[in-house]
Amino acid sequence: MSETTNKWIGQNTIRPDGAPKVTGSAAFAADTNMPGMIWGSVLRSPHAHARIKSIDTSKAEAHPGVKAVVTAADIVDFPVDTPFPLGIQDMRWMCRNVMAREKALFHGHPVAAVAATSEAIAAEACKLIEVDYEVLPHAIEIDDALAPDAPILHDFIEFEGKPSNIAGTLEHTKGDIEAGFAEADVIIERDFTTRPVHQGYIEPHACLVSVAADGKATIWSSSQGQFMVRAMTGLLTGIPQSDIRAIPAEIGGGFGGKTIVYLEPLATILSKKSGRPVKMVMTREEVMRASGPTSGSKSTIKIGAKKDGTITAAEGIYWLQAGGLPGSPIRGAVGCALAPYDIPNGRTFGYDVVSNRSKVAAYRAPGAPIGAFGIECVLDEIAEELGMDPLDLRLKNAAKEGTQAVHGPTYPLMGYVESLEAAKAHDHYKAPLGPNQGRGVASGFWFNAGGESSAQVNITEDGNVVVTTGHPDIGGSRAGIANICAELLGIDYRRVSVLIGDTATIGFSNLTGGSRVLFASSIVVTESTNNVIGTLCALAAKIWDIDPEAVIWEDGEARPAGANAGQFPPLTLEELAARANESGGPIGAGAQINTTGAEGGFGTHICDVEVDPELGTVQVLRYTVLQDVGRAVHPSYVEGQMQGGAVQAIGWALNEEYIYNKNGHVDNPGFLDYRMPVASDMPMIDTHIIEIPNPKHPQGVRGVGEVPLVPGLAAVRNAIHDAVGVRFNDLPMSPPVVLDALDMAEAAE
Amino acid sequence: MKPAPFAYVRAETLDQVFDLLDEYGDEAKILAGGQSLMATLNMRLSTPEVLIDINHLEGLSDISSDGDVLRIGALARHSDVLESEHVQKHAPLIAKTMPHVAHQAIRNRGTFGGSVAFADPAAELPAVTRALGAIFVLQGRDGQRKVAADDFFQGLFETDLKENELLVGAEIPAIKDGERTAFMELARRHGDYAIVGLAVQGRLEGDTFADMRLGFFGAGDQPILAKSAIAALNGQPNNEGTIKNAQDALDADLDPMPDLNGPAEMKMHLARVLTKRALAELAA
Repeated sequence: MSETTNKWIGQNTIRPDGAPKVTGSAAFAADTNMPGMIWGSVLRSPHAHARIKSIDTSKAEAHPGVKAVVTAADIVDFPVDTPFPLGIQDMRWMCRNVMAREKALFHGHPVAAVAATSEAIAAEACKLIEVDYEVLPHAIEIDDALAPDAPILHDFIEFEGKPSNIAGTLEHTKGDIEAGFAEADVIIERDFTTRPVHQGYIEPHACLVSVAADGKATIWSSSQGQFMVRAMTGLLTGIPQSDIRAIPAEIGGGFGGKTIVYLEPLATILSKKSGRPVKMVMTREEVMRASGPTSGSKSTIKIGAKKDGTITAAEGIYWLQAGGLPGSPIRGAVGCALAPYDIPNGRTFGYDVVSNRSKVAAYRAPGAPIGAFGIECVLDEIAEELGMDPLDLRLKNAAKEGTQAVHGPTYPLMGYVESLEAAKAHDHYKAPLGPNQGRGVASGFWFNAGGESSAQVNITEDGNVVVTTGHPDIGGSRAGIANICAELLGIDYRRVSVLIGDTATIGFSNLTGGSRVLFASSIVVTESTNNVIGTLCALAAKIWDIDPEAVIWEDGEARPAGANAGQFPPLTLEELAARANESGGPIGAGAQINTTGAEGGFGTHICDVEVDPELGTVQVLRYTVLQDVGRAVHPSYVEGQMQGGAVQAIGWALNEEYIYNKNGHVDNPGFLDYRMPVASDMPMIDTHIIEIPNPKHPQGVRGVGEVPLVPGLAAVRNAIHDAVGVRFNDLPMSPPVVLDALDMAEAAE
Repeated sequence: MKPAPFAYVRAETLDQVFDLLDEYGDEAKILAGGQSLMATLNMRLSTPEVLIDINHLEGLSDISSDGDVLRIGALARHSDVLESEHVQKHAPLIAKTMPHVAHQAIRNRGTFGGSVAFADPAAELPAVTRALGAIFVLQGRDGQRKVAADDFFQGLFETDLKENELLVGAEIPAIKDGERTAFMELARRHGDYAIVGLAVQGRLEGDTFADMRLGFFGAGDQPILAKSAIAALNGQPNNEGTIKNAQDALDADLDPMPDLNGPAEMKMHLARVLTKRALAELAA
């Protein structure tokens, strides 16, 4: 299989979910209904921080139409002193996030839920639940939570021997940081902040759960992992995983935000109690108030370099908001921050800070854009100070094969340098700029991930192919797998149907996250398909009565390996499928592997902006994403990932933020006032795909989807600096902020 | 959210509309295109007992002109107004404004009269009608009366419409030779309500401003005709000093409300910037 002979790998084949999505027939979680179904509604905390003294649900339970009520008392408790990790989550925090236990930790935190015969009755009954709160002072921002007199969210959390809102730390070091700074000719140290931003998926969280009379539960829900749904729901309800069947719905966007559960455990308990199927659908307001954004952050970045641009030392200290319960993505921030560079002396340190906001959830390269933002801004300033081109500065210090990263690993073959060289050579980098226009560049890294995947490849009796895998498709995995399977079998990709199995029909597959899905699932699909080919060759050998070794598989048919093998007309997949019972019977194979070798991904972005200095508005004029993608199995999907990541970065940089009022409530819980980028804001995002195949993958695949969010915040910010000469170190760079800063800059002149 | 329960009547005649208005008073709401009403119902900012759907009334969506006056029926859809040759010829300011009113799908439903009668201070058309000196035709059971746009808008979502009256059309003086137009709007996203904006019509006699009318939206509790700025412009030469005087005069005209988009002072700043730009466009 090589680039030159590939027939399907590298083709923009018609995506299997395209027609259902554009015609409206795709079934999302909220599209599922059952006879006898009732509706669940969540009662949410009206306070940002309050102790729950008592809950009286008797009036709600007596309300006509109400079939069941759930409170924290119904949910399995995971004691706070016993860690119980599950993936990137910890069940101690999950059980307290799906339903407030001792305390309500943010405005909108679930306190109880009701199932009733209509949505209206369920909502009405929620109001009948009497909760006795002891309202506590709240802390929203990082500095509020770190203040000496800050309200402490959790009395079981201590830091340096004292009660604290710092729930954890993580550090990476390499070399001797002090000695490194001593060698530097120029040292720049700056403080930065970024705001929490929501993943912004269009489809709100939704599920339908039916717990049948035999106690077996079926869950239809929108998630990034049906096995995650099964595991978490099992743990939180006490139902064994073997009695839960989690069926993944088509997903209307996730971006990391659907890697945890909110509604499924509540609906399961409500269904178990009521004996009826229970449907729950969040409103947009609930999504914005109570589902995970990514962390807000503050950071202090210090980088030293010699006159020739060689970085001698770099340090990044980060504080990331976790929300009401521990678990901010400090690993992504401190791990990815310095990853693109060959730095002899480096240190990154992260603090996980709890405050009275909704618990964060993963968001596309969790933590990495925060890590990269300050670093890439300071590098821009160092380049200016040294009179160097910012791409040259990065090239001078770029990590390569064999570089040992500050966060630990020694890199294999990878294409970071190539992304910088491609940026330097790109037309975009040389295009002229007008007044108030500027250009910025930045780079970024994401770990990517392997992990557990399962696949089953079956040949149908008519000689076509059904592939079943175990991860929801949020980035084109079905189209990619169809291309790969068709390539291996030498048949038209339209003959390969790729399905996403539920937890009862396919083996364990870790969730869709970490840019792992096409990497990992194509490994198990390749192994399964190769086994199928082995079976087909053996069948042909039996029919021809020759040695199986003397049969080869080419262009969708079995052929004698050479003249010595004998003269036989080829046997096609269809012919062999029809004669399957002449040998072992049904043709199919599965594989279940904990995959390794994912290797990190790198990208570089070029951004042009025009600033209107009188209105404070920033228009992105041109944007180019250059990235090593390993192998673009389905190029237009790869391009879409690169474009989507860049647009989310632009939104984060320019406009997105939660506005909290003095009571600790979000004042803009909807897309009208939470300003996400829309099509009319954006230029065409150009992409430059670099393919340096991952040597550890059968098709050379490298994760693609998360890297393109990482460089964008700094690329936009560096472009604004180039346009107007002001360095913005705090996001978002929204019109009022830009206006204020330009006014101040003018006043200072 | 979903609206509170309401009754719905599809009116077939004006008499039926007035019967219902008499019966329900302020518990009735007129449904034209539903551009703003449906949203306010869904957010339960408005909970009328009955919706009177006037979409099937005959003769209220015509657009015509006799050369001096352009007549736009209250039920004329924004998209029809935008495409109307009468409007393009006789009220180019309206044609210039329309692409900024929401999005195509909404313009296909939203109506000229609905937008005027709703009187949202952040909406474009009420301010444009002030800049154009429009006259509105209000129909009661016993006949019509005409009210100038300058008297029609009376406060936040408040107009001169009586409970038992219906806005049936607008009469707009056709643009005269030498009159020029300009439109400027700053919105967070294209199609959003404006943060602030203005519509301008007037003349330059040689280098001197004359007959200027500046209508602002997003600049107070109602669409505003910027009288002080107009006074600072009329009879004055088009130069930096005059523009500066007009910008300064806006302090007396505008009273923007702070909101999630920023403080009032920022909006005043933005209004001054847009005024300068609109006048430059007018003169260009």
